[in-house]
Amino acid sequence: MNVLILGGAGMLGPYVARELAPAHNLRITDVNPPEEDLPGEFLLLDVSDLDCVVSAAEGMDAIVNLSVLRRDRKIAWDVSTRGCYNMMQAAVTHGISRVINTGPHYTVAGRHITEILDFDIGPDIPPQPGTNLYAITKSIGLEICRVFTEHHDISVQHYLFYNFKDPAAIQPGERYAPYVISWENSAEVFTLGLDIDLNALPSRHEVFYVFADMPHGNFSNEKTKRILGFKPRRDVETLWK
Amino acid sequence: MHILITSARHELSAALADHLAQSHDIRLTERTHVETTHEFVLSGLGHDRSTNLLTRGMDAIIHAVEPLPDEDVSSQLDSATRRTYNLLMAAAEESVPQVILLSTLELMADYPAGYRVDERWRPLPSTHPPTLTKHLAEQVGREFAREGSLAIKILRLGETSAKTIAVAVDEALAEPALLATKHRSHEEGGAETWSITHVGERT
Repeated sequence: MNVLILGGAGMLGPYVARELAPAHNLRITDVNPPEEDLPGEFLLLDVSDLDCVVSAAEGMDAIVNLSVLRRDRKIAWDVSTRGCYNMMQAAVTHGISRVINTGPHYTVAGRHITEILDFDIGPDIPPQPGTNLYAITKSIGLEICRVFTEHHDISVQHYLFYNFKDPAAIQPGERYAPYVISWENSAEVFTLGLDIDLNALPSRHEVFYVFADMPHGNFSNEKTKRILGFKPRRDVETLWK
Repeated sequence: MHILITSARHELSAALADHLAQSHDIRLTERTHVETTHEFVLSGLGHDRSTNLLTRGMDAIIHAVEPLPDEDVSSQLDSATRRTYNLLMAAAEESVPQVILLSTLELMADYPAGYRVDERWRPLPSTHPPTLTKHLAEQVGREFAREGSLAIKILRLGETSAKTIAVAVDEALAEPALLATKHRSHEEGGAETWSITHVGERT
């Protein structure tokens, strides 16, 4: 499969590229050059540039969007919101039916609304990001994707993460986020998302929480395991053991 | 009341300014200069002190979310999302009591003709910028209302007359606009921070 990766030179991108490279032809883009050699073709590209994103998607079978900008009051909207519009327009233009988008858990759950109060929080809740800049820019991007799936034959899988860990760097007794995953384990879900029969997804717009099995039960990754066949590694358990 | 109206270049904003000026103090704003007899402030609705100053002392903001002539889709999306966020954040910080966001009944156009579609129904936006941008602006506003930091009133405008729109705006301005009172449920008298009103007929 020919796969366009947007924002592929960031923190998660190299892990995803190494995971996908053995089975896919990669065209990796980022606004910054990669700090390490990445497999496949690399293009310098600003995801907020509609024409550039549409051009980069030519000949692709799938798009994976890893682009992110958290704090800048302008670029966060350019990347996380308009970037999604540009990606979906590119998918429409080139007849690409498989899109994987990424974001933080509070794209749907909201930063202060549920995680402190609730347990077994799943991804299929009405988005309630609040006004936190990172959360709302990603959530409006998600909504753009949803609207496109209502009108076009495009399937979007949203993979929402919270915190990534290098298992070898975990310190005894360190505090940890309500859901955590190792970088290597997180990359494996993208293979599942590219392999899955799109007709096996419940709808053309699905949200997944991607993280290791964590015993406190704050969030739920049950849907990710059940539908995508995700296998959480047991490589971050020293956080609580 | 002191009322700020955005999208000053658009005919709807201009007409509302003329109507409301009969009984209110009006300030218009736009991203490019506009000739008008009303007070006018040039503003890109950026994330800076000028947007706070623009909203300071206002009793209400009417946010029209209209594009500039020949504006490309990227800029339209930017305006409806980022600039709306900046405006509403400034309004919340300046304790503006209410924001009226002018949206469109096009959001309900995909429901079959003959259905009695009302404000409780889910919007069905298309991917076309004139409709999508209105929907996204609503979505941004909804989060301020959810947090209780602003009282947002959505007027979804359909096929109707300028007079009907003016009456709807008058009525929205006349309603009490109190920020949500913490720790008080609606049953105990907590104020609504989010309301939607359909004005006119959907096509």
